[in-house]
Amino acid sequence: MVTAERSLQLPASPSRWDRFKARLQPLVRSKTALVGLSLVMFWVVAALFADDCLINPACWFGSPDYTPRPLIARYDPYQSFRGAGLQGPSAEHWLGTDRQGRDLWARIIHGARIILVLAPVSVLMALLVGGTLGLVAGYFGGGVDEVVMRFLDAMMAFPQILLYLVIIAALGPSAVNIVLAITIAGAPGIARLVRSLTLDIKTRDYIAAAQTRGESPWYIMFVEILPNARGPILIDAMLRVGYAVFAIGTLGFLGLGLPPPSPDWGSIVNAGRKFIQAGHIWDALWASLATASLVVGLSLLADGLSEQLNKYR
Amino acid sequence: MNQQPVVSVRNLAIAYETARGLVPAVRDVSFDIHRGETLGLVGESGCGKSTVAYGLVNYLGRNGRITGGSILFQGRPLVGQSEEALRKLRGNQISMVYQDPMTSLNPVLRIGDQMTEVLTVHQKMRKDEARARCVEMLRRVYMPDPDKVMERYPHQISGGQQQRVVIAMALLNNPALLIMDEPTTALDVTVEAAVLDLIADLRRDFDTAILFISHNLGVIARVSDRVGVMYAGELVELAPVQEIFANPRHPYTQGLMRCVPRLGSSKLDSVLYPIPGRVPPPHRLPPGCAFEPRCSYAREACRAERPALRPLRGTAVPHMTRCLFSEEIDPKQWRPPDDFALPQPANDGVTGETILSVEGLKTHYRPASASLLGAFGLGRRDVVRAVDGVSFSLPKGKTLGIVGESGCGKSTLIKTIIGLEDMTDGKAEFIGFDLRRRAGQRELALIRELQMVFQNPDATMNPSYSVGQQIERPLRRFKVVPKDRVRDEVIRLLRAVKLDEHYYDRLPRQLSGGEKQRVGIARAFAARPDLVLCDEPVSALDVSVQAAVLNLLLEIQREHGTTMIFIAHDLSVVRFFCDYIAVMYLGQIVEIGPAEAIYAPPYHPYTESLLAAVPIPDPGATPTHIRLQGNVPSPANPPSGCRFHTRCPRRGLLPDGGRICETDEPPWRDAGEAHRILCHIPLERLRTIESTGK
Repeated sequence: MVTAERSLQLPASPSRWDRFKARLQPLVRSKTALVGLSLVMFWVVAALFADDCLINPACWFGSPDYTPRPLIARYDPYQSFRGAGLQGPSAEHWLGTDRQGRDLWARIIHGARIILVLAPVSVLMALLVGGTLGLVAGYFGGGVDEVVMRFLDAMMAFPQILLYLVIIAALGPSAVNIVLAITIAGAPGIARLVRSLTLDIKTRDYIAAAQTRGESPWYIMFVEILPNARGPILIDAMLRVGYAVFAIGTLGFLGLGLPPPSPDWGSIVNAGRKFIQAGHIWDALWASLATASLVVGLSLLADGLSEQLNKYR
Repeated sequence: MNQQPVVSVRNLAIAYETARGLVPAVRDVSFDIHRGETLGLVGESGCGKSTVAYGLVNYLGRNGRITGGSILFQGRPLVGQSEEALRKLRGNQISMVYQDPMTSLNPVLRIGDQMTEVLTVHQKMRKDEARARCVEMLRRVYMPDPDKVMERYPHQISGGQQQRVVIAMALLNNPALLIMDEPTTALDVTVEAAVLDLIADLRRDFDTAILFISHNLGVIARVSDRVGVMYAGELVELAPVQEIFANPRHPYTQGLMRCVPRLGSSKLDSVLYPIPGRVPPPHRLPPGCAFEPRCSYAREACRAERPALRPLRGTAVPHMTRCLFSEEIDPKQWRPPDDFALPQPANDGVTGETILSVEGLKTHYRPASASLLGAFGLGRRDVVRAVDGVSFSLPKGKTLGIVGESGCGKSTLIKTIIGLEDMTDGKAEFIGFDLRRRAGQRELALIRELQMVFQNPDATMNPSYSVGQQIERPLRRFKVVPKDRVRDEVIRLLRAVKLDEHYYDRLPRQLSGGEKQRVGIARAFAARPDLVLCDEPVSALDVSVQAAVLNLLLEIQREHGTTMIFIAHDLSVVRFFCDYIAVMYLGQIVEIGPAEAIYAPPYHPYTESLLAAVPIPDPGATPTHIRLQGNVPSPANPPSGCRFHTRCPRRGLLPDGGRICETDEPPWRDAGEAHRILCHIPLERLRTIESTGK
């Protein structure tokens, strides 16, 4: 906001760095949040530095003679090692290889990239849609509320997985459609939460003060109400990113995820499933563990945060 | 008294375990309470009054504990007793009455069941016997129709009756000690008066020791035998009630008395002197006397060491004080400090042109029906007549006070004027603008001239934005000053409400209640409005802060010539602050006129009852015995004729027992000087009623 810059001019006020540290305080203080944060950060760092794209300017502008050099991933996720299919973990291939002889570590790490983009983006979209609907329903109330909420209730009556399947089946599997499916399925839940928070906050005096200033309803909803609902929304969103990771994994497993040869975690589990009985458990194991650790990490982070937020209320 | 005291507290210290370590909440508190005696504890919020009470029954929560001292209850030590022993004692010998009766009563149990349980559990009494005792006890607390009340649920009786039930329950076991923690604070002034009468009667009948906690000096004066004044966790003065009000000897006690307006005093003839500064937080107490930083008598010796509670020298009454110089400081010799600017109310005697005129204003609600039929618009829905035909006009630069019990439509009236509620009918005109539309649809020029100050300091500011941002908003929106001067203007406004520019970047949670209210005032005055509506702006504040905020409002009003409408439930504050007063009952104005005329006869019978109910901070005052019976009727279904006829104490003055009150609407009677009374009783008759303005 405006004062963020202004505060820098004032010697007495805390610097940005101090504010940032103060923001992080609750995270560091709670053990639960700290464990969750480390799990999530592991995957974020792995995804960012899977190859050198982030630090090589040639990659940024899509230079034609650029080929990514693997960093953390060690190999290209699409490179097949001839005669090295279905291997167990070794010094050469840390997590082993799949049927086509591709390095599993490289595929899992690159899979994190996909999931860490798709899951947050789809939740963000759901927040945008659901948050707006919830604000409108809660703030205006009356008929608007009835219409919006009954419509969303009807959507919530369908199991989420069914909604995913219907949408993907209708539109075809692609990254955009996955985001779309999760947005549509997730928005009603978020709308409910935001509506209940709005109903509470709109009775406060500062909202009446804004109304007596003749502020527009949109200003009141997004500037006066929304920032005060951010705590619960943030925690809910974090849990939802976890669900989205699961959902994307499920879709991949059902063959509705990203088309092959994308290193999608769900697809990896699906592909590896056939070899479990043949004694090669590694594909399915690593991809499942990856999904589980990321989801658990996000849940722990959300739990720790809400615990801290409640303590300071 | 040579008998053993019921409770004897010596050097009690209580601390709470917090993130900052062990924080002392109560330090070095000693007192005795004898049978049949009431000890009043008074002080501002955060002074440890309630903690003392909870300490007595060792009910301090998980993080609180008694860190020192002793409590003897009927000769037996309480500190260190097992939880089980204490629970038995609490049930049989010590009873507590809390502020909100609704939190003490179980909403899913009938009143009879809750009451008899006390006897059947603690005294193993038979059920029918217990029931008879309960009915008898309800009768003792003047509950009308006790047999029927036993069958009701708590939500079916009024707040005052609920508190009676709680008191009756507390007395069922004939406790040796009764602790009352702000028992009347949540009640309307008329109900409060009746409950205080009851407590005064019970004190005589039951011979119980009572510890009575209140922040209200008037209430304390009414019920106490002795008064202890608490400040920052310490007892700073302890004396018989007459003595403490006539001859306060601790600077804090003196300060408290100076900052509450007496009933009948006005801004023209008296000044409120707030206590500067604020109560120190318990983890940062000054090394010497706890009051020294705020004390106008402070000397070097006060900073050196903590004074002990000692008897006052040269007096026969048992008067204890915790001040080194109590003998020297005479409240009558007190002079305000030199830097205290006397607030000069704007009163040039000239009545300006009318700025606001309201005629026949009505605001009716259609409450959302809870039944399924209602959702389809089929259910029968009563219209709530929150404001039902109000007319008045207000000259420029003056203040109109609105008083009345809760639910009489005060807040709805000003919310309608400012455009937060839809006007159902009537006319309202403000400097040429029509006020019929809601705030969202009004012209910017009109919105700018009408601003509001809210009641709850914790909700008046948006917790997400800094003080500066929130004051800036109206400045930018109404383009009060050019863009590059906004920041200077905010700082000017902050200075005007006595806050310095460091507050610019503070967030609301870093401010105290009084500071938040000041920011709320700065925000309301930022647009330089012509009319400011104040909805109980000082009710949630401590008295010393309340005085400062009232002075501030007076000063700003004088500077800008602002017109104000001021709602408060404290009649002394309204009298002090306002030029005109309107008394509202059930959505109608029943009496309106200049402030001094309202507080002197002739009264409307309702005004008379309200005034009679105000607790006076003077133990010598004889309480008047006009008490309103029953509750305010539902505004969805107001009584016919005169709306007050169901509770009117003066109906007997009319021939035929006032049958006319039930059938005909009363006429306006003009008592001169714009003083009008809505009553069937002729003015001559009303004039003969004695003054209750003490």
